[in-house]
Amino acid sequence: MALTNDKWAPLEQSSESREKIWSKNRTFAGDVWFRFRHKPTAVAGLVMILLFILFSLVGPLFTPYSYSVQSLERVNIPPLMKVYNVGESRVFITPSLKLIRVTENGSLAETLPIVREESGKSMTIFDCGGKEVALYYGGSSYVVCDEASGNIYPSSHIWNHDHVLGTDALGRDILARLMYGTRVSLMVAFVSVLVNLVIGILYGGIAGYLGGAVDAVMMRIVDIISTIPLTLYVILIMMIFGQGLQSIIIALGCVYWVDMARVVRGQVLSLKQQEFVLAARTIGSSPRTILLQHLIPNAMGSILVTATMLIPSAIFMEAFLGYLGIGLRPPLASLGTMCNDANANLRTSPHELLIPAVVICLIMFAFNFVGDGMRDALDPKLKK
Amino acid sequence: MVKYFAKRVGMMLVAMLAICLLTFCLMHAVPGGPFTNDRKVTPEVEAALNEKYGLDQPLPAQFINYMKGLLHGDFGPSYKYTGKTVNEFIETGFPVSGKLGLITILFVLLTAIPMGILAAVKNGKWQDMAIMAAATIGVTIPSFVIASILVYFFSYHLGWLPAFGLDSWKGYILPVIALGGYSVSYLARLTRSSLLEVMGQDYIRTARAKGLSEFKVITRHALRNALLPVITVLGPTVANLLTGSFVVENIFAIPGLGKYFVNSVSQRDYTTIMGVTIFYAAFLMAMVLVVDMFYCLIDPRIKYDE
Repeated sequence: MALTNDKWAPLEQSSESREKIWSKNRTFAGDVWFRFRHKPTAVAGLVMILLFILFSLVGPLFTPYSYSVQSLERVNIPPLMKVYNVGESRVFITPSLKLIRVTENGSLAETLPIVREESGKSMTIFDCGGKEVALYYGGSSYVVCDEASGNIYPSSHIWNHDHVLGTDALGRDILARLMYGTRVSLMVAFVSVLVNLVIGILYGGIAGYLGGAVDAVMMRIVDIISTIPLTLYVILIMMIFGQGLQSIIIALGCVYWVDMARVVRGQVLSLKQQEFVLAARTIGSSPRTILLQHLIPNAMGSILVTATMLIPSAIFMEAFLGYLGIGLRPPLASLGTMCNDANANLRTSPHELLIPAVVICLIMFAFNFVGDGMRDALDPKLKK
Repeated sequence: MVKYFAKRVGMMLVAMLAICLLTFCLMHAVPGGPFTNDRKVTPEVEAALNEKYGLDQPLPAQFINYMKGLLHGDFGPSYKYTGKTVNEFIETGFPVSGKLGLITILFVLLTAIPMGILAAVKNGKWQDMAIMAAATIGVTIPSFVIASILVYFFSYHLGWLPAFGLDSWKGYILPVIALGGYSVSYLARLTRSSLLEVMGQDYIRTARAKGLSEFKVITRHALRNALLPVITVLGPTVANLLTGSFVVENIFAIPGLGKYFVNSVSQRDYTTIMGVTIFYAAFLMAMVLVVDMFYCLIDPRIKYDE
């Protein structure tokens, strides 16, 4: 490339373009989002939460089963079945000692009729398509064998096609219950945190803004409440309102606002010293306007972080109540009640416990990650 | 300092009164009396029962009577088990729960602090990553899930440990792990972050400049200050271990106070619920106060006099 003289001419630069900020101007929300999405764990948590919401809302449309319909023929069937090949047909032993014929692709066909009982040999004889097979229950594990020779039929494992995650102790489809239970758990968490948010913001905001004697009295009340083990009070409130969804939400909502109130009060106390509050006061804004329009929006960052951190503890608390058996009334399901129901059959059907337990853990992980991410994103000290 | 703690004790008494009042009101707000639930009783029998337990008096009088009993250490009779008193439940249940709780606290302290120190010393290396990953999992998984999974694998699957009861030392292993899992993870994370912060301070550099070995720097100098936040959360941790024991005692069929509480809740035994709640609350508040006193003795920088 030949260099010519005109390449060296000075560039005309207006003073306007010199002053212009070339980088894109980000809003506060944009800034937070920018920092949030550069944290892989936080984004993964957010995606997981969205997937769980989708799973619980849209999922029931795609399953033929209802969370409440019981089928006593198909009780405690695991997702991965051990089937015995009796000639052409396969049979599965249910934990309640029945034989179910399983088709080639893993669908459950009919329950085999009992022909007779051979108590002496610890065997029950079933009729499998005209052929007599024996269920031997004398050993440490149940097997299907030939009555005369005692030979055990060859076995293999096959995935359950009808009930992908198996069924519970009353023959209800676990996948359908899981969708429903996730929805209940998430709903309890969101609504009770919303209730906490409203009570906590108003209580903390009023205490912080008014200050003085009002603040002292209000915060003493908070101190007293926070010395009480909250679990006990959630249980006591549950007893008054009876079992059910509303009472869980009321119980969690009216107990956990204490932390929120403290956070809001602290924020309001420091914010109200700033000039913009003075400015608002000089133009004659009412305390209500100052509190709701000026102070609370400025404190929103830490409020949101506290709220996100409250969600996992609400989910945990709901599961805990469900586990103690004072949560929802059956047949309603939540993740906690599913774990509780599964405990009776833990030895034979561990899948009934493991599946909801894994979902609880995943949801808690997701919310914790999102909470961590939000805290880092909203913390101005980390701003580069 | 004495003034501060006198104030604290005063606050505690006010809080206790509030707790008694609140529990009393909550229990009397439950629709239906204590005898209306199960078997139908004739009005005469119900009246006789109400008279026997003093339930025919107006509410304030009942509250004053109850408080009088409490001041004498009397939690009243159980409504469901004739002839049993709430005191008997507490006397038989609390030693069991207390023993389990103490062992768990020892276990928590002996595992969490060394783990936290190791993670901080090996900051950024694989040991740190592994411990922190385990701690994150431990914080998020609910205790009843840990307990059930432990029971399934160690009792049913492998058959190494008993699934319930506290008959031998083996029986303690699973409940202690299930109960302490959360606290171990939480305290390990806390120890790590607090030790890392302390290690960046000037006096640690001075100690190193004196030529002290790294071991001495950590144990003699850094740890003393790094453990302060850990001691602060010990009070609430004890609280968590005791209230968390509801579920663990239920799973492992341990006849402790938590088991009695859960039973009384499901059987609507009002006086037992009230008594155990008040007992728990008083015990926990006392624990927090004791920990705060120790805190003040350990760290001379803290003055409570403003």
